[in-house]
Amino acid sequence: MVTVKDISGAAGLNRDQLLELYYKMLLARTVGQRERMLNRMGKGPFAVTGEGHEALQVGTAYALKPKHDWVVPYYRDIGVALTIGQTPLDLLLAHLSRESDISSGGRNMPSHFSDPALRIVSGSAPVATHLPHAAGIALASKLRRVDEVSAVYMGEGGTSTGDCHEAMNFAGVHKLPVIFIIENNQYAISVHWRKQAAVENVSVRAEGYGFPGVTVDGNDVIAVYAAMKEAVDRARKGEGATLIEGKTYRLVPHTSDDDDRRYRAREEVEEWTKKDPLVRYRIWLKEHDVAEERKLDELHERAAREVDEATDQAEKAPTPKPESALGHVFVED
Amino acid sequence: MTVTREATKTFGLTEKQLVEMQYKMLLARAVSVRQRMLQRMGRGPMTFSGEGHEAVQVGTASALRPGTDWVFAYYRDVAVALTVGMTPRDILRGFFARRDDVSSGGRNMPSHFSHRDLRIVSGSAPICTQVPHAVGAALAAKLRRLDEISVAYFGDGATSTGDWHESMNFAGVHKLPVVFVCEHNNYAISVPWRKQAAIENVAIRAAGYGFPGVTINGNDVLEVYGTMTEAVKRARAGEGPTLIEAKTYRLMPHSSDDDDRRYRTREEVEHWGAKDPLVAYARQLREIGVLDEKSEKDLNDRVNAEVDEATDEVEQEPTPDPASALRHVFVEREGA
Repeated sequence: MVTVKDISGAAGLNRDQLLELYYKMLLARTVGQRERMLNRMGKGPFAVTGEGHEALQVGTAYALKPKHDWVVPYYRDIGVALTIGQTPLDLLLAHLSRESDISSGGRNMPSHFSDPALRIVSGSAPVATHLPHAAGIALASKLRRVDEVSAVYMGEGGTSTGDCHEAMNFAGVHKLPVIFIIENNQYAISVHWRKQAAVENVSVRAEGYGFPGVTVDGNDVIAVYAAMKEAVDRARKGEGATLIEGKTYRLVPHTSDDDDRRYRAREEVEEWTKKDPLVRYRIWLKEHDVAEERKLDELHERAAREVDEATDQAEKAPTPKPESALGHVFVED
Repeated sequence: MTVTREATKTFGLTEKQLVEMQYKMLLARAVSVRQRMLQRMGRGPMTFSGEGHEAVQVGTASALRPGTDWVFAYYRDVAVALTVGMTPRDILRGFFARRDDVSSGGRNMPSHFSHRDLRIVSGSAPICTQVPHAVGAALAAKLRRLDEISVAYFGDGATSTGDWHESMNFAGVHKLPVVFVCEHNNYAISVPWRKQAAIENVAIRAAGYGFPGVTINGNDVLEVYGTMTEAVKRARAGEGPTLIEAKTYRLMPHSSDDDDRRYRTREEVEHWGAKDPLVAYARQLREIGVLDEKSEKDLNDRVNAEVDEATDEVEQEPTPDPASALRHVFVEREGA
């Protein structure tokens, strides 16, 4: 078997790391599917999942330093949360609105990730409100003279907002250590990209803010990782912001409350299903002798088991006590 | 070097029209100067000088059809207002907060121009809120299939706002008949451009919205006029928006409440004072034989007389009746 450091195109990752990427992607896929099923069974109120986005989310998050860098995700970022260190149990406790949910004690909508220890910053539902937060956190890092970078995630719909422009312009002027990651899946719920903006690649706008913008194949986890690593290095060295636009596709409807048959053809979904980042990466791993079929199957089984166990545990966990309803609004000493 | 009439691009303007542009610039200058002095004499509350911006404002506004095209100005746009058809009396009524002020019945801050018949749309004080309005008006024109365009005026500071981005993007996606005019004077009050954005020319951002952006010398009224007529033609032909970034300079502080000695040098102000668009255009008109010493003096005398008369009359006019304080908030209909 060829040693991994001889493998070209692995962006400097070793065998364990390459497999860890795969496992995180599997976990993200499985958690997403589980949340959708629990919702359809009437057990969870709502599901917003990221099937199709795994390579982009895991590949970028993997280049960050958990508990050191600041992560500002949006609601589709299950893969980011899991890669930074949240567990399937964390996510399912939130999904089922349980008392011990770390994100909000069962109060917030599911997929509103938040974790002080992991520096995953609590976000809101309105699109792109978290972008100025990420720029502010990066400003803090610069003023404090620490090498903690800020990574903020959004869909391409978020790029039309005023908040996006203000955050990016500010980051450009002050050369802040923030990375803007755009998960361009071509749809803002039902609004197609061609109705969202009059450009092909949103990354061209970075020039208007004075920092680099790149467009990558968002379904190629290693290409994504490489692009992110470069951006993180730039930020840590004080060279300022970067915009990474990852082209990908959402294989499922926007949320459990969306019927995507109303705005896109089944043929289009099938076309992109063939480009499933998990399938693609699995093939790459086998072709480059990183792992054999059996090992990869083991990882699938492990992910399934982990999510099953987490589901059982989460379902048994208590819901919040009504008397605690006013808790978690103000800081409690 | 002699500049000849043939060598000077005058974009199809007649001599009368060329002189009219100088007249409007002189008028705007005189109205700005008069307001500054009256304010310092305690006779008016506040003023926003447009001195230095006259070429951008007159050059662009001269390419519009008053009463047909929709004008979304900001507080520095006294020369736009005068070119589209407001008079010194109209402006001064706003300044003195007189009852018969067409902009707001003496209620709004001065320089918040508004004139229904001239389609100068009432704006607010917060920066850039008028720009989404301009885009909405352009959308209306498109939906109603009317040959009306929209012009949005703003300073360089406005280009950092969320409202600006949302307007530009929407206009680009829907290919709307709107022209965006940035009066780039390098300062957002005291914030210099280099602290406002990490680029040299804001016009490059237009490409990110799918339409053309140009950077021009905003102190050359004919260059401004020529560029604007192109943009207007595009808009009327259904080809969509244009961003015009006109580089200019604000010869006075931001407002009567600003001390610009705190953030810019006298040398810089003098340097730009030497590039005064009024002086440059007067020279140009003399060189091509459209103006001579006498006609130039007549023009200046006319302007001064007009502003003197307007000031004297308007200052005598009544202020609003306190009993009317709640009017002009809602639309007032007969029998309502």
